Amino acid sequence: MRKISIITLIFSVIASSFAIANEVNVFNARHYKADSELYSKFTNMTGIKVNLINGKSGALEKRIISEGADSSADLYITADAGRCGAMDAKGTLQSGLTSTAIKNAVPKSFRTNKWVGIAKRARIIYYSPERVTGAELSGMTYEGLADPKWKGRLVIRKSSNIYNKSLVASLIKNNGKAATAAWAEGVVANMARTPTGNDRAQIMAVAAGEADIAVANTYYLALMLSGKKGAEQQEAAKKVKAFFPNQNDRGTHMNVSCAALVKGAPNKANAVKLVEFLLTPESQEHFTNNTFEFPMIDGVSPSPLVVNNLGLDFKQDMKTKLASYGKNQAAAVEVMTAAGWK
Amino acid sequence: MRINFWHISSFIISLFVIIPILTVFSSFFDNTSNYYKILKDTFLMEYIFNSLILLVSVLILTFIIGTGSAYLVSFFNFPFSNFFKWALILSFAVPPYIYAYSLTAFFENYGTAYTILKNLFGEGNYNQSIPKFDGLLGVVLSISFSLYAYVYILARASFLYQSQNIIDLGKNLGFTKFKAFYSIILPAARPAIVAGLSLVAMETLAEFGAVDFFSINTLTTGIYNSWIAFDDLAFANQLSFFLLLFIFALFILENLSRRNAKYHFNTKAGFKQKQKIQLSGKKAFLAFSFCFLVFFLSFLFPLSQMMYWTIKFPENLFDLKIIDLLMNTLYLVILSSLLLIIFGLISNYGNRVNKNKTLNILSTLSISGYAIPGVILAVAFITFIAWFDDSVIKNLGFVSIKKVFIGSILGLVLVYFIRFYSLAYNGIKSGYEKINISVDESSYLLGYSKRKTFMNIHIPFLRNSLLFVGILVSLEIIRELPITLILRPFNFETFATTAYISASEDLLEAAAVPSLFLILIATFFIIVTSKYILRDNNE
Repeated sequence: MRKISIITLIFSVIASSFAIANEVNVFNARHYKADSELYSKFTNMTGIKVNLINGKSGALEKRIISEGADSSADLYITADAGRCGAMDAKGTLQSGLTSTAIKNAVPKSFRTNKWVGIAKRARIIYYSPERVTGAELSGMTYEGLADPKWKGRLVIRKSSNIYNKSLVASLIKNNGKAATAAWAEGVVANMARTPTGNDRAQIMAVAAGEADIAVANTYYLALMLSGKKGAEQQEAAKKVKAFFPNQNDRGTHMNVSCAALVKGAPNKANAVKLVEFLLTPESQEHFTNNTFEFPMIDGVSPSPLVVNNLGLDFKQDMKTKLASYGKNQAAAVEVMTAAGWK
Repeated sequence: MRINFWHISSFIISLFVIIPILTVFSSFFDNTSNYYKILKDTFLMEYIFNSLILLVSVLILTFIIGTGSAYLVSFFNFPFSNFFKWALILSFAVPPYIYAYSLTAFFENYGTAYTILKNLFGEGNYNQSIPKFDGLLGVVLSISFSLYAYVYILARASFLYQSQNIIDLGKNLGFTKFKAFYSIILPAARPAIVAGLSLVAMETLAEFGAVDFFSINTLTTGIYNSWIAFDDLAFANQLSFFLLLFIFALFILENLSRRNAKYHFNTKAGFKQKQKIQLSGKKAFLAFSFCFLVFFLSFLFPLSQMMYWTIKFPENLFDLKIIDLLMNTLYLVILSSLLLIIFGLISNYGNRVNKNKTLNILSTLSISGYAIPGVILAVAFITFIAWFDDSVIKNLGFVSIKKVFIGSILGLVLVYFIRFYSLAYNGIKSGYEKINISVDESSYLLGYSKRKTFMNIHIPFLRNSLLFVGILVSLEIIRELPITLILRPFNFETFATTAYISASEDLLEAAAVPSLFLILIATFFIIVTSKYILRDNNE
């Protein structure tokens, strides 16, 4: 009798691990509270459980690759188009994000069949209005960051940062590798300090007078201004202004948080449903109001904090395909390292 | 050679622990892609240089802090000296990465230091004059203030058993206090101090969280990054090889430093209990200040910074599923320490009853897991399972076993086992060495079986050692980051992973709550068990 019950137990354990559960497995490199709120909302609406494994993009990608066809991953969600593109290049994604709902919501240059953008952010220039004149900034471009007039006045993150890799990848796509290599040397020569800290630390360095201009993503300033990070950071945020580069040519460099469909996803249909859900106006509004990103779809406006302080009417770079960020990642790392960008 | 249960199980344990180490070495000669050849050479020099600087600075700092404070509390009485005796080990509760968060939070532009200055002196531009502890300096401070306790504990234990006689000897020779310390006390404690420093060295080389937070490239993070950014496992393994060379060099240095000197202590006969010297006035104040400074910087400072943020941003407290995190952490702690203790016991007993050379060599090799950084062990484990699954299991026509080992509690606990096996093995071994072999012989003469000897005689004798091992392993697992991060299952977080993920996402404030709880739990563990850690009565 005891033996039988043990055998039954073993079988039920094995069976349960093969049973098809109503769930979707997300390898998640975005860790905003707003995201988990959206996932619970999705579960309440559809009954599909969202399983999360959180981590940094690199480690998550490696695990998906090592697990290969046996991976339990359905979706990979990360805050950089370059990472989605790189995963695609390694053949770990499958096409399937092709429903009309997705195609209608997301502009063509912000998606492929295998991954789509779910929220936008721009990588822009922050400056100190006390120390930088309008004339100096007029017509400013990313290319202009290498101009010797900024010598000792620029702060930017390390070259290992994914947002920098994607920015440099887009420059390689537009200007070629040789020109970008020369540009990277110019940028390194202009740095006010050895790169250190996150995007917010770059903005605060300008506020504190360590540098005159900084390169960072759009949502950080809104986050600081919101007061959610305390009075001091709010005070700091008021000392810097945002500037959108390349307004006279291709537009400001845009990046996305993206969701990618993993090859061999055991819950493919649920994964597509989750992506469609994230692209509904309600979810998009939730993103814009909490993470201060730009909406992916038309008809939703960014948070008032973003609109009032950064301005809305800027020209986004809609021409450079985001898929090129992934393709040029390796070249981007190469030119930055060769230039001595720490 | 007789094959029996004990023999086979020690053999299997040792073999299992060695697998990832062999994986690292086996791919050393794989070709790496040529594309990055030149870049790699630049990187390699940077990694080696940073690791060396880090290692040397941390060793100097932990030596000064650890030996200095141990000397003061062991030889002198001054205000609160009995409090500092155990308070100085509380730094164990603060892992280097949480120390790094605190340093940044306090000294960054518009950070806590700025707030304090503003509240004291009114508005002003203080940012420029606040020193910034980031980069390599930040890493050195974070690691040193967290790990000096290794040196402190071992040095103190050794000072404690120095007989009054040798100190009197110094007095008779007319030595000053400094000269006595320098030429008698310190050399006599050298093996203990070197042992402490070599633990610090290994932890420093293996450090991931703090080094990653300040984005300093050392051999360990280099290995991780080349695996991730360059997809180059072969280069990662070559770096691992250099790292292991470093570690072996350390082993050899430690052994050499012992070989030249022989240490004879007559612990029983001729041991004279030391008289602690009563300090007063300026000297007492200086001794107190030194110990307080160390205690403040290593424990109170990170604790209060994390508390301050938890109070300042209370919404983070309510967002966190504290009970879940606590249960997950305890689950891992209990499961792993039980496994480690059971198998550590079996292996030790196997070695005791079988005088066998191969087994001995295997056991010695198997304790090297502790020298290998967690990140590398986790990577090697995944590589090995993926290889084994693709080339053996699937070829035999079985279902894939990857999910059983990767992203499961089983896999996580197995890698903990490999990493911390040496702690368990050595801890139990030192306990076993105190049980004379004649005890076993008497027990056999009385007709006890091997099993009965083990259960009824050895285990009760080893109780304190087992408890000590349990505490050490638990503290390590509460703080453990890279293995947990890479191998944990879906929807499974610990305090350490939650803190790390928030911090890596620019949400340092949100990292404060899990960090605070981690510190509190570890502190609780330490206080409850401090008498076993300090082991005043070394029996």
